[in-house]
Amino acid sequence: MIEIKDLHKSYRMGSNSLHVLKGINFSVEDGELVAIMGSSGSGKSTLLNILGMLDGADSGEYNLDGVPIKDLNETKAAQYRNKFLGFIFQSFNLINYKTAAENVALPLYYQKVGRKERQDKSIAYLEKVGLKNWAHHLPSELSGGQKQRVAIARALAAEPKVLLADEPTGALDSKTSYEVMDLIQKINDEGNTILVVTHEPDIAEMCKRIVHLKDGVIVEDKKVEQVRAEQYV
Amino acid sequence: MFDRDVWQEIFNTIKKNKLRTFLTGFSVGWAIFILVMLLASVNGMQNGFYTQFNDDANNSIFVRSGVTSKAYGGFEADRRIQFKDDDIEYIKASFPKDIEYISGRYRASTTARYKSETGSYSVQAVAPDHQMIEKTLMMSGRYINEADYINKAKVAVIGRKVAEDLFKKEDPIGKFVEFNGLPFRVIGVFTDEGDDNAERVIYAPMTTYQRIYGNTNLLNSIALTYNPNYDLTEALEFSDRLEILMKRRHAVHPDDQAAIGVWNYAQAFDDISKFTAVLRFIGIGVGFLILIAGIVGIGNIMVFTIKERTKEIGIRKALGAKPSQIVNLVILESVFITAISGFVGLLFAWIILAIIGPTIQSPAFTNPNVSLGVVVTATIILIVAGVLAGLLPAMKAAKVKPIVALSDK
Repeated sequence: MIEIKDLHKSYRMGSNSLHVLKGINFSVEDGELVAIMGSSGSGKSTLLNILGMLDGADSGEYNLDGVPIKDLNETKAAQYRNKFLGFIFQSFNLINYKTAAENVALPLYYQKVGRKERQDKSIAYLEKVGLKNWAHHLPSELSGGQKQRVAIARALAAEPKVLLADEPTGALDSKTSYEVMDLIQKINDEGNTILVVTHEPDIAEMCKRIVHLKDGVIVEDKKVEQVRAEQYV
Repeated sequence: MFDRDVWQEIFNTIKKNKLRTFLTGFSVGWAIFILVMLLASVNGMQNGFYTQFNDDANNSIFVRSGVTSKAYGGFEADRRIQFKDDDIEYIKASFPKDIEYISGRYRASTTARYKSETGSYSVQAVAPDHQMIEKTLMMSGRYINEADYINKAKVAVIGRKVAEDLFKKEDPIGKFVEFNGLPFRVIGVFTDEGDDNAERVIYAPMTTYQRIYGNTNLLNSIALTYNPNYDLTEALEFSDRLEILMKRRHAVHPDDQAAIGVWNYAQAFDDISKFTAVLRFIGIGVGFLILIAGIVGIGNIMVFTIKERTKEIGIRKALGAKPSQIVNLVILESVFITAISGFVGLLFAWIILAIIGPTIQSPAFTNPNVSLGVVVTATIILIVAGVLAGLLPAMKAAKVKPIVALSDK
């Protein structure tokens, strides 16, 4: 599904250049649930941004579902993001004046799905994350965990190839974190490919594979026995 | 464009910044208000001019004589040029196709007396054609006719004010009034719209006055109208020919305007049209300058809005919004604010004009109004202005990098 070869990325900070990714080689199969771990500054967020086409690499190859991701202009990147990727952010990033259902429908809007179908689909996905009754509430009326579940529903709505979650539990207490992880695991059980960036070992343990980044290189890449979040909920 | 989601967003931003949107919109509305009022004022001025001039026939030409200012053709300067009856015959014979009506004019002042009332008035001795040239409107009785003219009849057509002064409530028709001691029979009373002084004039047959002043054939000036089918160019060309001819006849230097002057209404109309065109241009210019301030204001509010919404734009981009979709959103919002505020300004101007416009009836300013053309132009200007105001902020919005927008955790 994802194939990365010798990926480099540096940031220019004034006259200095900060080499953040120093040759990453890594691939993800269909249906995997991968945790990307590392301390802050290890390059894990940069890697996720490049995977998410929010940022471009300096050199190296990136293939997503067989499509080479290279030299994208803004419009093309927007199309690919919409088609291939679903994002889950630490701070949820819901649009605060739109109801939960409208937020979920937004990626469908950019796919030019008709209004009626958008509404039906967004309700269906909210039902999937257990928030059907909250469909017409604004984000400000929801708890943190509920907001993140809306965000997950939004990421799923576009039916992407890969879900990218950047510290999805970073802003949540541990109980809510486990609820969210439980949801992510269930979505993964249905065959969705998911990448989770986290620095919390217990969250990483709930994935099926852990990739450790340190100073811009992968220092460890291992399959783990998945801890089910269900038992903590 | 007619997407509910797009409008939902526009209304949301406006709702969030009600006061700011109102203040900025006000500047645009105010600009349009001033623009429309200025244009309406120019229209009012133009209407005023035209009603004043329409008092006389639009196709009239006045030829007057004076004293030469230049030596020419063997004559020295300071020679008095005097028109005579044969000048009229000469013009008639020279321009048989061009002349519609022609009349000599001889101006004299008189002391008029009827019973115990006396008054001092100016007498305009004219030919019957003069009624058509001056567009004299009869209130009662008749104008001077050919019989009066040929018979040198002592008849007079008096202005409404003269009739009021001398006859009070009496009907003046058929009564005899003394002009410098000579009895004249009043055959008609005329009126003149608006101008009281024009109603303090007495018309009498030219021939009668020429006989009173010693059997002369002298004229002060010549009034005529040309073929009404002539357009402006033909009219100006005819008055040029007339001027050349008259100057040659009286051995006057072609550039000597003091000796013989030809005054053409067409020329005056042309001048007024040019004058009001300049005024209109100035009006539009001033309106535009004020509008620019409004546009900058809208641009400013859009920049702020986008700054506030950077994160939202970032989210949208991460979810697959294309830059063009973001640009459209911002420009549509800008056009919306501009158009609504502009229309409010337009509506206010229109209401004020509709209420006070018809009540203004000063001679130089009549019925200020705005034409459909102005409204259509203003609408186009507003939409263009909205696009211009939104363009820079929109480009800024399109450049928002989702990664930067989303990074503030």
